[in-house]
Amino acid sequence: MSGYIRLELIRSLRDGGYIVFGVIMPVVMYLLFTNLGIAPGDKHDAALFTMVSMAAYGALGSAFNNGSGIAEDRAAGWLRQLRLTPLTPAQVVAGKVVTGVLGVVPSIAAVLLTGVLVNHVTLTAAQWAQIVALLWVGTVPFSLLGLGNGYRLSGQTAAMANLATMLGLSIVGGLWLPTANFPGWLRAIAEWTPSNSYAALSWHAAAGEPPGLRQTAVLVGWLIVFGLYAMYGYRRAGKTA
Amino acid sequence: MEIAASLTDVTKTFGVTRAADGLTLSIPRGQTVALLGPNGAGKSTAIGMLLGLLPPDSGTASLFGGAPERAVRQGRVGAMPQEGGIIARVTVRELLTFVSRTYREPLPLDRILALAQLTALADRRVDRLSGGQAQRVRFAMAIAGDPELIVLDEPTAALDVEARRELWASMRGFAERGRTILFSTHYLDEADEQADRVIVINRGRVAADGTSTEIKRLVAATTVRVTVSGEAAWLGRLPGVTGLEINGDRATLRSTDADATVVALARAGAVRDIEVTPADLEDAFVALTTAAAPSGAALLKENA
Repeated sequence: MSGYIRLELIRSLRDGGYIVFGVIMPVVMYLLFTNLGIAPGDKHDAALFTMVSMAAYGALGSAFNNGSGIAEDRAAGWLRQLRLTPLTPAQVVAGKVVTGVLGVVPSIAAVLLTGVLVNHVTLTAAQWAQIVALLWVGTVPFSLLGLGNGYRLSGQTAAMANLATMLGLSIVGGLWLPTANFPGWLRAIAEWTPSNSYAALSWHAAAGEPPGLRQTAVLVGWLIVFGLYAMYGYRRAGKTA
Repeated sequence: MEIAASLTDVTKTFGVTRAADGLTLSIPRGQTVALLGPNGAGKSTAIGMLLGLLPPDSGTASLFGGAPERAVRQGRVGAMPQEGGIIARVTVRELLTFVSRTYREPLPLDRILALAQLTALADRRVDRLSGGQAQRVRFAMAIAGDPELIVLDEPTAALDVEARRELWASMRGFAERGRTILFSTHYLDEADEQADRVIVINRGRVAADGTSTEIKRLVAATTVRVTVSGEAAWLGRLPGVTGLEINGDRATLRSTDADATVVALARAGAVRDIEVTPADLEDAFVALTTAAAPSGAALLKENA
């Protein structure tokens, strides 16, 4: 299975969509938001808050991009070819999930490093550890949603659905602009989105607060929903692969 | 002799199409077998069931005496489906290294590249290869694990003559290792030249099964032409004759026993402008897979 993960990671790193949406865009947006004075509040606070938002946004981008890759693989007959090797279907699915989980690392790292090196964000070691862990582990629900779309939809449609979902969740979840500026009804929706809950865990950590119980519960709820969705998509794809 | 692959009374229906209709075949180890049939005959369905990709509606598919999936997991099988498997953003070397390492005792990479004539292309991206080159990569994936059986579904479809020749050269290289090979084709010359045995499939059933020589003999393969005058229906009753066609004063007889037919014509004093043409597999194929299909199967049973 490690061979499969290695192959998939090589393919990700050569994927323009992954590099642009998952790594470059979030860094560029982070620099724009923080240096054009668009982000609200104190300069360091803004740099810190937006760093978390953009790392979360990049992580979403690469998690969903991984899911779109599944649809591409299906269209290319690659999943069928894999079924004809000694790899078990469970190994293939697990390999793809691990690829998704590892694939978000450069996205998160790029924005956090920009935060430190360019915007001089300072945090305690414990806070850094917390933020990295929360940003990383928290991508699992999005990886699963992306995979579900990848299994269920055909190549082009899956890529479009994943891009739209990623942008929708980023915007409504308050990753681009803080939900504090939202009208009341939109803020109410935002608080139920997985993306807002995901980023909020790290915003709390950055502010030195413990993770919110409500946000944890919402994110775990979505984890279950998207896990079931990915399983459903996989089963359906298995019948036609 | 150990059986590498078998289908036993298998049926498979897609909507209203019966892609397999009581299909039974058995392939012993070490044979190179061609599944020959026109498009839509059920070749790919038969292969899909043998590989465990498609569950049969009824009947049994097995590889090495067990479930196909088990043989695949054990790495005893390599396969080249009709299409697919060429993915973006990897080199030939990376792809084949990955595939071979999923098997317990793969061929060394250099050997795989050499057998598939890919050595010079090892560092090229697989999605930037020509059709023939990509096909050889797909072939290489099938042999990478050094499996006991390889199954190739129309490996040369859509290839030009040169690319086809290269692929068959690669396949013979692998066959020399004593492996079992099953391939499907609708190119008759390929079945004739490459296989020890030809199984003709049509409408989801086995229409004939034998060496290509036997297949030809089965189906009135030889054509005898003579010039006749007057009433000529009696020609159809001559020994060996299974078909008669009259065009003006020219009679075309199809015969399963050309010698007997010619002797009978001579006795009747009817040898005029005689012309005897041993048919190629193309004729056999057409006869077997059109209206004559049931009689082909029947003939086979008589001979067996």
